Amino acid sequence: MTTRFCLICTFLCGICSIASAQNPLAQADSLFASGQFLVARVGYERVLYTAESPDIQVGAAMGKARCLKQQGLYAQAVAFLNGQIQPSYPDSLLYSLRREQILCAYLAGQFENALSLLERLPYLHSDVPVSPLLMAIRVLSLNELRRWPEASVAYHELAVMAQTDTLSVPYRQVPELKSEKKAQWLSTFIPGAGQFYAGRPGEAVLSIVMQSAGLYFGVTSFLQGYYLSAWGVGAGLFGSFHAGGVRRAEVLVRQLNQRKAAAFNANVRQQVLEMVK
Amino acid sequence: MRILRYWLSVLVCFLLTPGFCQTGNFSHEWQFARYLSEKEANDEAAFVLHAFNKQSLTASQLDSLAYLTGWLAYSTKSLDEASSHLLSVSPTSSFYNKSRYFGAYCLAFQHQLDSAGAIMQELPATDSTLIELKAFEQAGVALLQRRYSRYDTLRQQFSYSSYALSAEETRLDAYRKGLAAQKRRSPALAGLFSAVLPGSGKVYAGKSKQGIAAFLPLLTLGLLTWEGYRKDGSTSLRFLGFGSLFTVFYIGNIWGSTLAVKVRRDEFNRGYDNKILFDMHIPLRNLLNR
Repeated sequence: MTTRFCLICTFLCGICSIASAQNPLAQADSLFASGQFLVARVGYERVLYTAESPDIQVGAAMGKARCLKQQGLYAQAVAFLNGQIQPSYPDSLLYSLRREQILCAYLAGQFENALSLLERLPYLHSDVPVSPLLMAIRVLSLNELRRWPEASVAYHELAVMAQTDTLSVPYRQVPELKSEKKAQWLSTFIPGAGQFYAGRPGEAVLSIVMQSAGLYFGVTSFLQGYYLSAWGVGAGLFGSFHAGGVRRAEVLVRQLNQRKAAAFNANVRQQVLEMVK
Repeated sequence: MRILRYWLSVLVCFLLTPGFCQTGNFSHEWQFARYLSEKEANDEAAFVLHAFNKQSLTASQLDSLAYLTGWLAYSTKSLDEASSHLLSVSPTSSFYNKSRYFGAYCLAFQHQLDSAGAIMQELPATDSTLIELKAFEQAGVALLQRRYSRYDTLRQQFSYSSYALSAEETRLDAYRKGLAAQKRRSPALAGLFSAVLPGSGKVYAGKSKQGIAAFLPLLTLGLLTWEGYRKDGSTSLRFLGFGSLFTVFYIGNIWGSTLAVKVRRDEFNRGYDNKILFDMHIPLRNLLNR
């Protein structure tokens, strides 16, 4: 009787341990699949805490990074992966961690960091060919930093690799950005000219009207002998609207440049994503 | 009957397993939460700590749980939660000293100075370093309360030779001197100054730029009012309009000058409070966060 009891216990324990030993990531993976990202993160951390095999550790790290990405915590994912990169891991596993980190850095808006990590990759993994996805990230990061000449070269390399049309390069029509300094100078010497330069004629007219009103009040007050009013109100209003107009012209040009760059980058992004699909 | 007994023992065995696991698991799960906390995986650590069933834990396990929950809250700068958890750790726990010191500091940081002072009075101090640290923390709270005589009494215990405390002790003395040298300015006098010469009250309060910025528009409005009166008379729209504007700004400036004294005083005190709290924190981290 005792023997049977022991056998049953051994059988049950055996089943339990086999189930958990087969794939330590299975539970966390299923939580991730069901959208319970925080619980899945804990599951992956649990694996990282106990597992000794680099394969499983890297699998868990990638799993947690996926959860963080799903939650939109890209910067946290970059920092987490940074802590997971251990020199003792095999090169192939390190490469997958670094690749994921670059992707997260781009998604976090850390474009300089993404480029820096990308530039280190050929030295750290010289035997691994550059993947189209990483090249695409390079193009997109350079675009976001408005380094379009470099982005154009990278785009061409990507197009060659993806065997797509290399003739219809979007960088032939790089947006011409306007100068904030020029807008300031224009508005300083010709009221409203900076706003015209920024493509906002309505604001330009308004600026001219306000400055003219101040000036008119000042001149008429002076002619009528109200010297203090001419100075205190007329010149004061003119000076305030003039200084405000100069600053506004600068802001308008900055906004215009941002819109132009964003529209161009969105177009290139679309094409790049088509290439790496 | 024998078969029934046999199956019953198997069932009992399975029912008891979770109980044993709960006790054995606590240490493992607590260590895991601590590992997460050290890795700054704070959300994950909080999740693991919240999963504990407090009903089934022993007093010592509850202490460990309270300590780690408090420490996690402290790490995430939720100081209210941190102090309540850290201060609930009982004296039998090995985390008692650290919990007590950090819990009291969290209260001081939240400007609950009376409570912080009362807890610091009873802080455990088992060796010469902790005795000096206790005096240092109490002296910090005394300075935050601006109780200079109490600070002077407590600073007698400063050795100025401990590697973890000497620099902070010297700085605390400097803050005490700086606070004592603070000039007491009167809001009424500031208002009076601004009534005589617009903007001068703000200069007196220590806000020189604001004083000049208040003086110039008032001077302009005053001159415009005078011009309106001189050229068009006291019933003219020009005189009444500029005169009204001048009056509003003039009274507003007097009121602003009285407030400027309080604002300047608050800025001064806040600046010193931040420095004191910062220096109270450094030795705690150096000596107890090990």
